[in-house]
Amino acid sequence: MPPVRTARASKKAPPEGFDDLEDTLLEFAAAMKDAENAPHDGKKKYEMVWPIFQITHQRSRYIYELYYEKEAISRQLYDWLLKNGYADAGLIAKWKKQGYEKLCCVRCIQTKETNFRSTCICRVPKEQLKEGQDIQCVNCGCRGCSSGD
Amino acid sequence: MSDVPVRPPPPPPPLPAGWTEHNAPSGHTYYFNKETKKSTYTRPVAAAAQPPPPTPLPPPPASLPARPPASLGAESGYSDYNDPTHQQLNAFDPKRQMEDLIFGGAQNLYSNRGQDHARGGLRGGFRGGHNNFADRPRQPRDRPKHRQDIPGCAPWVLVRTKLRRRFVWNKDTNESFWKFPPDVMKAVIEFDRVEREKKERRERGEPSDVEEDDAMAEIEAGLAQAEEDVEIVEVEGEEGMEDEEEYEEVEVTDDEGEEASHPPKRQRTEEPPTEQPPEDDDLAWQLAQMEEMEQMGGDHEQEEYFEEEPLSEDDCKALFKELLDDTNTNPYTPWDKVLEAGALYGDERYKALPNMKARKECFDEWARDKIQYLKEQKAKQQKLDPRIPYLALLDRYATPKLYWPEFRRKYKKEPELKDMKLPDKEKEKLYREHIKRIGMHSSELKSDLTALLKAQPLAALNHSSTLDTLPSSILIDLRYISLPPSSREPLIKTYISTLPAAPEGAAASAEEEAAVAKKREERRRRERALAEREKSVQEEKRQQERDLAYGKGRLREEEMEIERAMNVGKEGLRAHLGAE
Repeated sequence: MPPVRTARASKKAPPEGFDDLEDTLLEFAAAMKDAENAPHDGKKKYEMVWPIFQITHQRSRYIYELYYEKEAISRQLYDWLLKNGYADAGLIAKWKKQGYEKLCCVRCIQTKETNFRSTCICRVPKEQLKEGQDIQCVNCGCRGCSSGD
Repeated sequence: MSDVPVRPPPPPPPLPAGWTEHNAPSGHTYYFNKETKKSTYTRPVAAAAQPPPPTPLPPPPASLPARPPASLGAESGYSDYNDPTHQQLNAFDPKRQMEDLIFGGAQNLYSNRGQDHARGGLRGGFRGGHNNFADRPRQPRDRPKHRQDIPGCAPWVLVRTKLRRRFVWNKDTNESFWKFPPDVMKAVIEFDRVEREKKERRERGEPSDVEEDDAMAEIEAGLAQAEEDVEIVEVEGEEGMEDEEEYEEVEVTDDEGEEASHPPKRQRTEEPPTEQPPEDDDLAWQLAQMEEMEQMGGDHEQEEYFEEEPLSEDDCKALFKELLDDTNTNPYTPWDKVLEAGALYGDERYKALPNMKARKECFDEWARDKIQYLKEQKAKQQKLDPRIPYLALLDRYATPKLYWPEFRRKYKKEPELKDMKLPDKEKEKLYREHIKRIGMHSSELKSDLTALLKAQPLAALNHSSTLDTLPSSILIDLRYISLPPSSREPLIKTYISTLPAAPEGAAASAEEEAAVAKKREERRRRERALAEREKSVQEEKRQQERDLAYGKGRLREEEMEIERAMNVGKEGLRAHLGAE
């Protein structure tokens, strides 16, 4: 029988430099917890998940910028953060591609499950929308994440 | 007319007996007769009868006779006459042209007045003799404010005064004239045209090229030279500065009136006695003063004149970065969180950058640099770190009674043992060696420790070091902890007391100090520039408000005047004439 690995034991100690980010990440974790436990009265069902998407986006963006733009953290730490779920690797992979620099969530570019096989409304550039049209997508509450905006 | 630039006024006739000259609080000169107890603004003449000739009340500006305040019909006629589109007409009117020149840009400000009676210029509201001087808002004393070289007219400089009047000043001969000499006038007209175009372009939002810098430098040099040969004549308000201001052009227009054989309908109440010469000197003096002020104020004083760009973009960025430094912002926090914390808003430096995008960019740049810097600092520190606390732990708890596994189990909660930076193998090795050494003879241990101490360079271990500030090279050595603290500490103390003082590392620090001082100096300069910018903005605002209030006052006065003019009784024109 293989040894039973607890979550604690299986986790490697974070690489160097983690303590610099720890406070901010804890804040994100607390915000996430609040969002998860927020009351749902008077809200649409899909609206409930918006803050969760938003916090995920912010946290991923934070780590992405620290690694790719400010070059503040090491490769080891970055990998460790991705592995431990502090950032969404799929989302970051999209941000590196042209045209997706501001993408809000990967669900918004998923064309498979939409009625007209198209992306989300938030991917439409502002100038192609009607004058004064105010949008907020159903998936994550994004108000527009086209790269040109 | 314009070939006679300045006509010195005739010397005033002497006062008749019994009359004395005084200055009113408003700055005007008046005359008082002791015997008859009469006072008048008119200068009494000896030849005339003893009571002064019955002259009208204070200053009827000479512009008036040519154009009496008339009924509305006449006004409309004049508005036609003054219509800016009738340039040819105006061109033949030297007086008007003159005033156009003198008031240059100021016309835009007072345009509504200028439309109705451009002749009046600044004095527009004062005709008709309805004003008494006490009512009038006291004008600040006029002084030169802004200089511009007239292109293509080398030694001449166009100076704009605080009241937005303009005169020309010859740098070489140090002459200044309200009335522009003909050759200069052409250049000024051309210059005005260029300026206007530039302004229009700016209003349209096109960038205007900055070309004033070199011109300014030249003026600077010229003024410095001029200052030497200017004889400083201080003319304070005794002569009635206001009067001077009001009457300079009066004289000019009056002369013209005579030349053009307009019979002067009004007698001038006051012949400004020695007006022109002191005026000249006064202006020269003021120019010299201006120059002096500039020299005192140093370079940032100059920035007042170039209000457009007191701070470069880099300076603004540096200011913002300093703000971030000063608020102890953590470079690892995201920008949104920094904003949420709200520590930045209260500071002036926050406004140094124009918009949020620029601020975010600046923050990113700053964070990257700061993180880099922190990393370097940490790298420097960490070299000495990991073994020191572990050895301290060994010093405290290690006994020969415990084997390594036992020791590790017993103290596994201690952070030093949990520390991953020092591998377990290393820890074990250190522990075993330490236990072995504890069993050795104390005299041997002492000699080992002395050897260790002697091996230290004087820079690291010297007379000024204490037990708390021992160099790390000692702290990571097993020989240091082999002796128990009770016997170790006196030994080290006595050894330190025999050491000489530390060698001077001044040469290295001097450079650093210079760098720090330079940085501080830079910073101070930027902060000053920011304050300067703030001040100039305030100043401009105040100026605008004042102008507005002034213009409103004028407008009101004019309205009242028109009302009076409209108020024609049964007597018709006779009432008006009689009143005057």
